[in-house]
Amino acid sequence: MALNPFFLQGSLSEQRLVQDLINEQLKIYGVDVTYIPRKFVRTQDIIREVQSSKFDDNYLIEAYIVNYDGYGGSGDILTKFGMSIRDELTLVISKERFEDFITPFMGQDQDDGIVEYHRPREGDLVYFPLGQRLFEIKFVEHEQPFYQLNKTYVYELKCELFEFEDEVIDTSIPEIDSRVEDKGYITTLSLAGIGTTATATAVMGTGYIRRIYLNDDGSGFTSTPTVAISTSPTGDTASAVAITTSKGGVVSVSEIYMTNAGSGYTTAPSITISGGGGTGAAATCSIETSGNGVIRYQVTGIGSGYAISPGIQIENPIAPVTYPNPAIGLAVYSPSTTGISTIYVIDAGAGYGSTPAVTVQGPPVLTGSGDYLFNEIITGSISGTTARVKSWNALRSVLEISYVAVDDNGRITTTPFTPGESIVGSSSSAIYSLISYDSDDAYDSDKYSENDEIEEAADLLIDFSESNPFGNF
Amino acid sequence: MLGTYFYHEIIRKTVISFGTLFNQIYIVHKDGDGNNNSQIRVPIAYGPMQKFLARIEQQPNLNKPIQITLPRMSFEMTSIQYDPTRKASLTQTFKACEGGNIKKVFMPVPYNLGFELNILCKLNDDALQIVEQILPFFQPAFNLTIDLVDSIGEKRDIPMILDNVSFQDDYEGDFSTRRALIYTLQFTAKTYLFGPVADSSDGLIRKVQVDMYSGTDTTTAKREMRYTVVPDPINAEPDDDFGFSENWNFFSDSKTYSPTQQIDI
Repeated sequence: MALNPFFLQGSLSEQRLVQDLINEQLKIYGVDVTYIPRKFVRTQDIIREVQSSKFDDNYLIEAYIVNYDGYGGSGDILTKFGMSIRDELTLVISKERFEDFITPFMGQDQDDGIVEYHRPREGDLVYFPLGQRLFEIKFVEHEQPFYQLNKTYVYELKCELFEFEDEVIDTSIPEIDSRVEDKGYITTLSLAGIGTTATATAVMGTGYIRRIYLNDDGSGFTSTPTVAISTSPTGDTASAVAITTSKGGVVSVSEIYMTNAGSGYTTAPSITISGGGGTGAAATCSIETSGNGVIRYQVTGIGSGYAISPGIQIENPIAPVTYPNPAIGLAVYSPSTTGISTIYVIDAGAGYGSTPAVTVQGPPVLTGSGDYLFNEIITGSISGTTARVKSWNALRSVLEISYVAVDDNGRITTTPFTPGESIVGSSSSAIYSLISYDSDDAYDSDKYSENDEIEEAADLLIDFSESNPFGNF
Repeated sequence: MLGTYFYHEIIRKTVISFGTLFNQIYIVHKDGDGNNNSQIRVPIAYGPMQKFLARIEQQPNLNKPIQITLPRMSFEMTSIQYDPTRKASLTQTFKACEGGNIKKVFMPVPYNLGFELNILCKLNDDALQIVEQILPFFQPAFNLTIDLVDSIGEKRDIPMILDNVSFQDDYEGDFSTRRALIYTLQFTAKTYLFGPVADSSDGLIRKVQVDMYSGTDTTTAKREMRYTVVPDPINAEPDDDFGFSENWNFFSDSKTYSPTQQIDI
């Protein structure tokens, strides 16, 4: 039987009136929430998942809180994976308001991966300012109330708290962005604020050890052996240190560096390598009994801002020396001071008529500058590794980062950044040099991760004398 | 009878050893161009904990803006079961040396500890990355050499056996519940439980003395020769590098050695 033609069953003007009344009620009794659409960065086609997402837009819209007497859901529960907050929120927004003020902007973002849509979409976020929480829309109900005057007027958004992984949240609203800046997998870069170049001078001498030759590297060392050089008959007694290396579980001596090449030697002194639990290491040396060479270095300024040992340049002997033999030194930096701790004599050189100038290479960034910006991309100048800024502490020169990406054929490295390289901000152009990279407190704010605690405890128990495929130790 | 206090922390050590197997698992996400976008070290923790501690540690300021961060792994011990197939003789003991003192230990009791490793992920691809980094190491066991009783330096190979892999993917149903993606790996750790470590009354043998007689009847035969051997140096410890000092004495005095008085009478 057909409808009664003497009734309108919902005219456009009646529908318009209802929609206006609803809009007005929402503006009176609702709260302003921020609608944050999801952009798909990468989707997995076969198993049908959005692997990477970002949320970098924001739209303010008034919403009525349906569960006005408190959050729905299970509340705070303790799971085998730690605390999980199962709060749920149901919001009602005006269909007309959404379509008029949000939908038009959505269409412009199609190139960013958003599929065009005219309605709120599951997976998008809503920031609820009263609870300062991020909710994810899990279902949009569009037919409640059910076609009054032949039309629906509102969307009901059923939301639950967001499960955070590594999504980029950069809405440019500090209140929202700061809520997640300490969440997720965050690692720390210690940067050098201001660097200074180290300085050193050369000390000359005659009758010195020109160079030490390692004839046998020995084996079985458990600690660094001692190098003893026989006493000089008239001048300074030479001294040297051994550097050990390990390969295949066998520790042997790799290098012997002189801290003092000595003086007054007329014959090549004997060199004894002892201690350290190993055997077999032996070395000999050549001496220069005439002319001058660099027998040691005096560090006059240790410098700062170094993350790796800098190069060192010693001035060549000046003509008219017939066969000038330049000296070779090796500077060693100290991680605790970020300056150089000592300069070893590798080759004392020969034929110096006067004291040569010593030039130590400067730190990578002499003066760090700028302030890193939240969420900007930073890049390591040597490693090429990129990451996003979570927070920047200019006073302590500590940069907290996330989304560390190593372009190394997908391989993982536990030290993705190279100490000594410059860390450059893409937007801020801030630049500082890297002292160290630390991932120990990667989940500091979550207090869930115990990876390092477990690994340190296990290191005392487990005999990984062969190798440890599961950890650093 | 029972009640001698001892605590070697063997079960705790086994728990730690199991946990450390999985503390260096990473997942990688890629961007739209297929480049490495981010790498995440998957956090792991022992699941059971005090409730108040979980609350004040993981939700200290009460208004956490998100539900949880993912991915996560948790593990827990699920069973302790006697393993009769590895049992050695009941009364057998062995001795160990600690700083010159001899310790006596009864043979340990073999026990199987059941473990469960749970993996909670937001994406199936994350879970697959994690599981694929774990499974190849277990064929089906991975042996760990664990210092079970450090006071006697007892290191044992403990096989960690992967028994079962299962997963739960609740993707069906209405939209009121979120998809839960949990992989569960069940393991058995074949460990040993040691009893109390006692000081042995035996002590270190520092001298061996043998008297040789002219016949097998020592009541009538005459003592002819004595062989003594001591470590050199005399105060050497078992772990030291030492030699032996041997001595032969010849007798014609018809005396006999008294072990109680430790003299010839």
